[in-house]
Amino acid sequence: MMAYSEDQIALAAEYALGTLDAEERLQAETMMSADKEFAAMVEAWQHKLGVLNQMVGSVEPRPEVWNKIKSAIGLSEAQAALMLPEAPPVTSEAVEPLAVVDTSNVIRLSAQARRWRNVATLTTAIAAALIAMIAVGVYQPDLLPEAVRPKPRTQVAEVKTPSAPTPPTPRSAQYVAVLQKEGGAPAFILTVDAATRNFTVRKVGASAEPGKSFELWLISDKLQRPRSLGVIGNSDFTARAVLASYDNDVINNATYAVTVEQAGGSPDGMPHSAPIFTGKLIETVPPAAPAPSSAR
Amino acid sequence: MLTPAELVWLIAAVAKGDEAAFERLYAATRAKLFGVVLRILRRQDLAEEVIQETYVKIWNSAGQFNPGLSSPITWMASIARNRAIDIVRKRGELSIEEEPAAMEVAADSPDPLARREMTEELKRLLECVGRLEPDRQKLVLLAYYNGWSREQLAAKFETPVNTVKTWLRRSVMDIRECLGL
Repeated sequence: MMAYSEDQIALAAEYALGTLDAEERLQAETMMSADKEFAAMVEAWQHKLGVLNQMVGSVEPRPEVWNKIKSAIGLSEAQAALMLPEAPPVTSEAVEPLAVVDTSNVIRLSAQARRWRNVATLTTAIAAALIAMIAVGVYQPDLLPEAVRPKPRTQVAEVKTPSAPTPPTPRSAQYVAVLQKEGGAPAFILTVDAATRNFTVRKVGASAEPGKSFELWLISDKLQRPRSLGVIGNSDFTARAVLASYDNDVINNATYAVTVEQAGGSPDGMPHSAPIFTGKLIETVPPAAPAPSSAR
Repeated sequence: MLTPAELVWLIAAVAKGDEAAFERLYAATRAKLFGVVLRILRRQDLAEEVIQETYVKIWNSAGQFNPGLSSPITWMASIARNRAIDIVRKRGELSIEEEPAAMEVAADSPDPLARREMTEELKRLLECVGRLEPDRQKLVLLAYYNGWSREQLAAKFETPVNTVKTWLRRSVMDIRECLGL
């Protein structure tokens, strides 16, 4: 992190606060475009001060404004009406006019959402670290249930379940996600059987505080919100079949996260803490023949 | 009600040119953004122009939104607010003269929320602002909510512009230390 002078720090802060004159604002903007760290500092201030907008009341602009925006970006009405988004799906709430909605809710939830979003960024790093762990053989196979211990030739490059239903084979592909804090020791090991979509969570290094429960969530950019996969029981293993209702694509690419919830789990289907442990699935046991091998 | 996660996905869809997502994003955020800029510009026509420019910019630069740095609504509100402040700075000191009543109306902070409705981040910031001397608390909030220049703040506090400059500098540095930025 570059050290900035107090003048530069104050410039960033006052840009965000809004008290610079026109010339100083231009100066700050020039610095932002030339210096990414300075721009990040301004963004950090805008973010810190931005929470004040929670207290600003919402006011509806006139409908003409939307028409002007549409014509300014060359958006035609017909197109907008016909075009169905792929994700996220339309919900009836989503298209309600917002005059009656207290938009402060949007902001009220934002801190939590940010933490959730950070999970996605974080998991990339975690996945990379995990692959490295597997590669160097640090990974302890005996942490895994017998049935899913990785074979010596561990395959992590491709993580795709077959899209056609897999006929029962003696050994189907197994996927493992190690749920951990950033850089921390594994806390839970999630294993998914590609054929049955049953999953097992094994507790390896975490215990819930009294009166709290760990709850497992599936986070996917194909779904509008984190989906609960249920409370992780107190025993060492928790096995469930709830993944059966999700597509392979979702299962493969989702982030799995554990939050701390009230005893018995989240009462409303939404997470109430930042994700404590997170991970993504990695194939550890390639499907047995005759399924096509993904080895390179 | 859209969740913040939904807003993130809408912005991601907008970045790919999804027009329906853009319409939903607009529906979900327009009133908050309009409220923010109207408070600064105090003129419906100018505020509408800013909202128009803001959403055109959001459409064109949705791909630059970095969820690691900001929340969706803060990112969008910053675009709108920066544009509004650019306009009032370039137009000079008109708002007080044009609307003498604005000063009094604006002297109060906007709708206080019940404490339980505030996010932790807002509570934290307000705690830090609350540690400033009472005049400086007001100074910072007026600057943020109303987008006032140092000259306007100097008029309001009946103090030289240079004093306001010093107060502002000290205030942001104190807030920075308090927030651990």
